[in-house]
Amino acid sequence: MSLEVKGCRELQSEVLARDLCSLCGACVGMCPYLVTYKGRVVALDECNLSQGRCYAFCPRTSLDLDLLSQTVFGVPYTADELGTVQQIAMARAMDDGIRSKAQYGGTVTALTSFALEQGLIDSAVLTAGDENILPSGTLANSAAQIRDCAGSSFVAAPTVAAFNRESAKGDVQRIGVVATPCQALALAKMRASPLENRNNVDKLSLVIGLFCTWALRYEDFASFLAEKVPLGQIVKFDIPPPPANIFQVFADSGRIDIPLDQVRSFIRPACNVCIDMTAEFADISVGAAEGVAGWNTLITRSDAGRKLVEAAQAKGVIETKPLPEQNLAHLKEASLLKKKRGLNKVIETTGSDQDLLYLRLASEVVRGLLS
Amino acid sequence: MKEKDPLNVIVTGVGGQGNVLLSQLIGRALVRAGYCVTIGETYGASQRGGAVMSHVRISRQAQYGPLIPHGQADVILGLEPVETLRVLGQYGNPGVTVITNSRPVYPLAVAVGAARYPSVEEIARALEELSSRAWLINATEIALDLGASILANIVMVGALVGAGVLPLAPEEIELEFQESLPGDKLDLNLKAFRRGLAEIKAR
Amino acid sequence: MTSIIAYEPGASQLLMGNEAIARGALEAGLGLASAYPGNPSSEIIGSLAEVAREMGIYVEWSVNEKVALEVAAAASFAGVRAIVAMKQNGLNVASDFLMNLNLTGTNAGLVLVVCDDPSGQSSTNEQDSRPIAKWAELPLLEPATFQEAKDMAKWAFELSEEIKNVCVLRSVTRVSHARGDVRLGETKPPSRDARFAPTMLGQFTPLLVTLKHNMLHQKLKRVREIFESSPFNWYTGPEKPELLIVTCGSGWYYCLEAVKVLGLESSVGILKLGTTWPLPEKLVLEHLARTDKVLVVEEVDPFLEGNLKELVGDNFSALGPLTFYGKRSGHLPSVGELDPDQVMGGIGSVLGRERVAVEPEYSKKAQDLTGGMVQSRMIGFCAGCPHRATLWSVKNALKLDGRGGFVTGDIGCYTMGLGPTGFFQLKTAQAMGSGAGLACGFGNLDKLGFAQPVLAVCGDSTFFHAAIPALINGVYNQANFTLIILDNSATAMTGFQPHPGTGASALGEPAPSVDLEGLCRSLGIQVEVTDPFDIQDTTQKLLDLMQHDGRVRVLISRRKCAIVRAKEEKAAYKVRVDSVRCRGESCGCARLCTRVFQCPGLIWDGESQTAKIDEVICSGCGVCADICPASAIIREAA
Repeated sequence: MSLEVKGCRELQSEVLARDLCSLCGACVGMCPYLVTYKGRVVALDECNLSQGRCYAFCPRTSLDLDLLSQTVFGVPYTADELGTVQQIAMARAMDDGIRSKAQYGGTVTALTSFALEQGLIDSAVLTAGDENILPSGTLANSAAQIRDCAGSSFVAAPTVAAFNRESAKGDVQRIGVVATPCQALALAKMRASPLENRNNVDKLSLVIGLFCTWALRYEDFASFLAEKVPLGQIVKFDIPPPPANIFQVFADSGRIDIPLDQVRSFIRPACNVCIDMTAEFADISVGAAEGVAGWNTLITRSDAGRKLVEAAQAKGVIETKPLPEQNLAHLKEASLLKKKRGLNKVIETTGSDQDLLYLRLASEVVRGLLS
Repeated sequence: MKEKDPLNVIVTGVGGQGNVLLSQLIGRALVRAGYCVTIGETYGASQRGGAVMSHVRISRQAQYGPLIPHGQADVILGLEPVETLRVLGQYGNPGVTVITNSRPVYPLAVAVGAARYPSVEEIARALEELSSRAWLINATEIALDLGASILANIVMVGALVGAGVLPLAPEEIELEFQESLPGDKLDLNLKAFRRGLAEIKAR
Repeated sequence: MTSIIAYEPGASQLLMGNEAIARGALEAGLGLASAYPGNPSSEIIGSLAEVAREMGIYVEWSVNEKVALEVAAAASFAGVRAIVAMKQNGLNVASDFLMNLNLTGTNAGLVLVVCDDPSGQSSTNEQDSRPIAKWAELPLLEPATFQEAKDMAKWAFELSEEIKNVCVLRSVTRVSHARGDVRLGETKPPSRDARFAPTMLGQFTPLLVTLKHNMLHQKLKRVREIFESSPFNWYTGPEKPELLIVTCGSGWYYCLEAVKVLGLESSVGILKLGTTWPLPEKLVLEHLARTDKVLVVEEVDPFLEGNLKELVGDNFSALGPLTFYGKRSGHLPSVGELDPDQVMGGIGSVLGRERVAVEPEYSKKAQDLTGGMVQSRMIGFCAGCPHRATLWSVKNALKLDGRGGFVTGDIGCYTMGLGPTGFFQLKTAQAMGSGAGLACGFGNLDKLGFAQPVLAVCGDSTFFHAAIPALINGVYNQANFTLIILDNSATAMTGFQPHPGTGASALGEPAPSVDLEGLCRSLGIQVEVTDPFDIQDTTQKLLDLMQHDGRVRVLISRRKCAIVRAKEEKAAYKVRVDSVRCRGESCGCARLCTRVFQCPGLIWDGESQTAKIDEVICSGCGVCADICPASAIIREAA
């Protein structure tokens, strides 16, 4: 089993033209042909190569999850609800300053800064929005810069493009990336790629994954919002737990509540065929702690991840406590639901359970997930 | 040498090589010598890197049309090797005499890596097989030696006249130069012309 | 070009057909010449401009062909002999005035020369202009030889004055641009007592249109009489030929040679007509009576053939049975340029005679040896051409914009932008100024569901020729589009003639230069100016302009034509490729500069797997340095 690699033409016909693009940014920042613009991947010219990194690293082509699992964790892919898990807990940053800027518990910011401080990484690729809430990948190499990137985007960002660009430069050697599930998959594909040129992915020293149910399309969501509030005034977004069913926009002038269903109409179609809610291919994954304000759910997956978390706890950078049974059950249920929905959408699209679009999964695994 | 009437000469090359200048030069000298001359040329868009062909009809008896019928060329003078081959394919015959510059002007398709340019051997072989007499002249090198690549077409005129295929003596062309060129250009053009003459006589 | 007055009367000079026409006009005492550049007609006014000062005549490049004809008509009205020249498309532009001028008539001789481009080798269409003579009821002359081109042009002024109307002289590429030896006559200075003094009420107005139409018919009758004994019509061949060829213009030499090559001088006769409308009916009928088979050889359309049939239709009881062959019967191709091989094929198939151009053995050998080696040379923008840079930015901006925007094109060097050299950007190209006209239409289809950004491009010369009314239409009718004026300070495609924006006249003297931005701004439009060599800035400007939906916007993309610049200045940069940095065919480049950008100054060296600069061709503009993704192309100030 190995990853099939085709070229830019096939990337366009198999992914972009079919609306499967999650805008992770893996195909961009390497060549003059593919660029992102206002939340879209744009092919400026025809690349005639039969094999390219764009296709190889795209998480929506030839996704052999078993190979990726072997590459990243050294274990087979088992389609467990939450992926490979060493530990799971609730966590939050100890630093008030971090927590005040954070979306939930500030765990991502705290761990990233800690990794930088400890020299585990010398720079971090994070996501930040501009004055028009257009998010993109950015390189941070100080605690202050990391803190500036705190907060959830909700709009898809081509963050891996920043990794592609920065890893090519000589002045960074150990890069950490805070990644959504599709971005983490792209980085995993990079590591597993049969191509000679893998964007110096050996410089990738840490992947902190983010839980994600869906991400929004930039252009029409931004126009929609701009009618309600000047984009430059927006500070943060949030979705409170059910049954609220609203999308909160925190602006300088105050908070605006939008019916969640309206916002859902801007979800990227690619998200409907995604089967990874908890960023299963990261060293550690972080999300909200349902019903527990100010805390995160923290999943430790790899040895590198575990070492980082233990060191951070020891140094008092983060504090942890056990995750309530109810939370764990809900998390598993939500994650499994996303897998089922994604798979069903894939099969609905192709019309056959033998053709899983971009997924390369053993049929027992598929059957297991769908039952 | 028996004089064929009409004598059909095709001068071919790429836009910008001085093809048109060359055919006019020969034409004027022939008119002066009392021949009826018609020159047919392809202009316009072909100048932007495209092929250029001049058909020269030379006759004592009558004026001929500006296009030579297929397969009726008596002499092909090529400023560019592949253009010479192109013309040979359409207008050549077993009796044709061919004199061509050896220096390629790569078509855009070759420069961008989408097509291959034939080798000197392939070109020489084709010329040999498809003509009664053929010469490959390093006109561009000679011109560069004299200081300007643009003189290659004048070197080729020398070769043409030197081959004795035109009813023109070298002095008649030299007179044309004297009549039409300002002093500073005259010297260099005469040099180029004489080098062409010498080059073909040496073969 | 050697000047058309360089040789003495009586001498033989090798002249291009166009030069011969110009010389003929000088021998007729020409006073004024006007034209808009158009291949294959440009050299007529070009060669007259060269000698204008010496001859004491007035020559101008007009802004378009209609104005050029009006300028020439004014001269004629004022008693000055005038000539106006244009290509087939120009005639279409001038036709509105011509269809009035024919009725009002002229005073001093006025000759209208139209040069057709069969096969459209450098035109947007293929068109036979001769029907205009029938339509406008004017005499039509078609020169078949270079001598005739001169002699006919000279005589046309006399004919024009005889009937007090325009005389149309029609040429084609193979007459206009071919050269032959011509015996020269005496040139005459023009009369210098120009004065406008109409002799009748409403002489040059539509007063009494039907009366004037009747007068026009009388004039044509007079012409017909004159044509009956014209020395421009002749017959060569046997008394009773098996086949009569009726030909005109370029067909004459082809027919003569074809008959000779086929060895048919004793059975084929050729009636060569130089006066093709109105037909010299008696003369033609006399020759038609010689035989029962007629082959009509002409270009482009079966115009002569149709007129012969009309004549036969009126007189068929006096003639024996006649079969016509030609373009309508399929014996000659109905489209494209004529050549001697086609004529030989036509004659051969009528008479059942085969002619093999080349021994099949040689043919096969030639095909085998050269077939694979010879491909057609793609034409493209020169190295350093600003159009390539502008269209690169256009391509990027349209792709980034993402709404399916497109470019409506126009006529000039940039028309090549429909192909790979311009990244296939131009999607339409018809008449002068039509890019802007179409954009006005597209720009008002929003109520009908249209949502694509429209970019119209036109050159500076084209703008003055025809795009201004369309632009005003866009303002007035609030069309949504952006006009990109490609200002390279030249009418480049036709040979670098000056125009109202270049600051020089046809004689090379300083002339007022129209301020392009000022003109556009005075229409109340948003006008931006950009340097096409600054790709990033130009792309951003285009993106911004495309966002301003609802009104006409103008972007002037200004940079001198590379050929013009090379004559005036040295190269800006010395450019080279760092082969170590060059990524070549690998992922991350895939030969962007040579494979996609395709400037002829960039060469791909397959052996050493690197791009290289061709120092002979490179113009030193440095734009490729900004395109290279690896920063492997280095530019240094020259």
